[in-house]
Amino acid sequence: MRSSERSEAGIRPDLEAVFRSDYARVVAVAARVLGSRDQAEDVAQEVFLSFGRSAVPAGEAGGWLTVAATHTALNLLRSGRRRGAREEAADDGPALVPDVADLVITRDERRAVRAGLARLPHRQAAALVLRHSGLSYAEVAAALDLSPGSVGTTVRRAESVLLKELNRHASPE
Amino acid sequence: MRHPSEGVLRRLVDEPAGVTDTDRVHVASCLICRHDLDAVRADAQLVGSALAPGTAGTDTDSGWARLSTATAATPARRRVTTGPRRGRWGAAVRRPAVAAISAVVLLTGAGVAAANDWLPIFKTESVDPIEVTSADLVQVPDLSAYGDLEVTQEPDPQPVADAATARHRSGLAVPVVSELPQGVTGDPAYQVAGVMSATFTFSADKAAQAAAAEGAILPPPPTGLDGSALRFQAGPGVAVLWSQPTGVPTLVLARVVAPTVYSSGVPFETVRDYLLSLPGLPDGLADQLRDLSADGATLPLPVPAELVTTSTADVRGSAATVLTSRNGLFAGVVWVEDGVMTGVAGTLSPDEVLAVARGLR
Repeated sequence: MRSSERSEAGIRPDLEAVFRSDYARVVAVAARVLGSRDQAEDVAQEVFLSFGRSAVPAGEAGGWLTVAATHTALNLLRSGRRRGAREEAADDGPALVPDVADLVITRDERRAVRAGLARLPHRQAAALVLRHSGLSYAEVAAALDLSPGSVGTTVRRAESVLLKELNRHASPE
Repeated sequence: MRHPSEGVLRRLVDEPAGVTDTDRVHVASCLICRHDLDAVRADAQLVGSALAPGTAGTDTDSGWARLSTATAATPARRRVTTGPRRGRWGAAVRRPAVAAISAVVLLTGAGVAAANDWLPIFKTESVDPIEVTSADLVQVPDLSAYGDLEVTQEPDPQPVADAATARHRSGLAVPVVSELPQGVTGDPAYQVAGVMSATFTFSADKAAQAAAAEGAILPPPPTGLDGSALRFQAGPGVAVLWSQPTGVPTLVLARVVAPTVYSSGVPFETVRDYLLSLPGLPDGLADQLRDLSADGATLPLPVPAELVTTSTADVRGSAATVLTSRNGLFAGVVWVEDGVMTGVAGTLSPDEVLAVARGLR
């Protein structure tokens, strides 16, 4: 996404305003996919950089950013470019405190969910993430070129697959 | 009538208005569909929480600083936000690491409030001090700069009449000295202290503000760190003190249930590693901290390097840390055994405190 046209001109003047109002939300969207704040912030940077050079109407900025963050984050998740040693350490580090049991389960489940997310068809995964990021069914349909009636089915299917991942993960071999 | 598809039920969870009247009426009156709807809703919630992106508190300012560097969109800001001088970084980023340390000092210092000369060298399974200079200690900031510190339980140290009472009140075996060193005389005083606990809730917003006040930018905290809490707990404890008639302590024995750190959001290690990851932390200190915490069992604790030297010794099979003041007036030894920290300190030589420690009954 980082295009070669890094000229100072061509950056839309409302970039800062949009950034300040939407940045946290865009990071959250990417973090939903990646489970890592560091990577999510990287994705958000990339997305806003693209937005800054785009001519997306200001009124559509929110939806555009959400969709762009979702696709970018899913691509990153799939690419296996799992960097960010801090997050890996955080995820895989030994549980050293007694009352962390809940967290361990959550962490394992989160990891399982992300592994499942990486295996889902892109559009299904995107529909799931967009819906859980607050887009309406109509918006999800428009963003992914789905028929509005099929969004529910797509999201439900994705959730069923992910839950199977969770159950498989949680149950002993 | 035909039951609506799962896709319809799924939409019913989120957008009832998007579902046809026919389907809604059917579901409302159909036991099977209502049951399925509950399952679909529960699944959606479970997946939603598994996907939930940690806690809030994204640092928009540092994000914008980074983006404006990339776009060069705001040259005026850029100079301010991307060019903090190395020296300022150094000053700013050293503080959070020291803040984490000081939380432990605060706890342990209060846990054995009776012993003024007691150096706060406590950790969970072994004793291994970190040397810091007094300049570092002077820079220890108010923890409130990085979150909220709340002492949830005060140790409330109290004098008690005798060893039996101390044992009864603390539940700990009161150390008994087999042979007092020369110069230590008289009957000891006993103190007991209850459990002390304190909760430190990390706040990315506050930490970012603290960094910003220094003209620096806080690196993005790891997922889940913001809002997560560390609970420090130690105690109960018991102390036995011998003093000169003037009140100056000559020998102090203390035993306290070793400090433990509990984490409610992310593991303690994550917090510590984040603090350590901040650029500008003196390399030597950072490496020491990392080495210490490889097994997660050790809390890094500071010793004022210019006042005290440290060495190690064996006390009845436990690795102990010996502290000797550079002026030779004070020595102490501390070790942890079965989760209980015991220390011996006094206006004595290292050999004398070690002899007392090894002879404890």
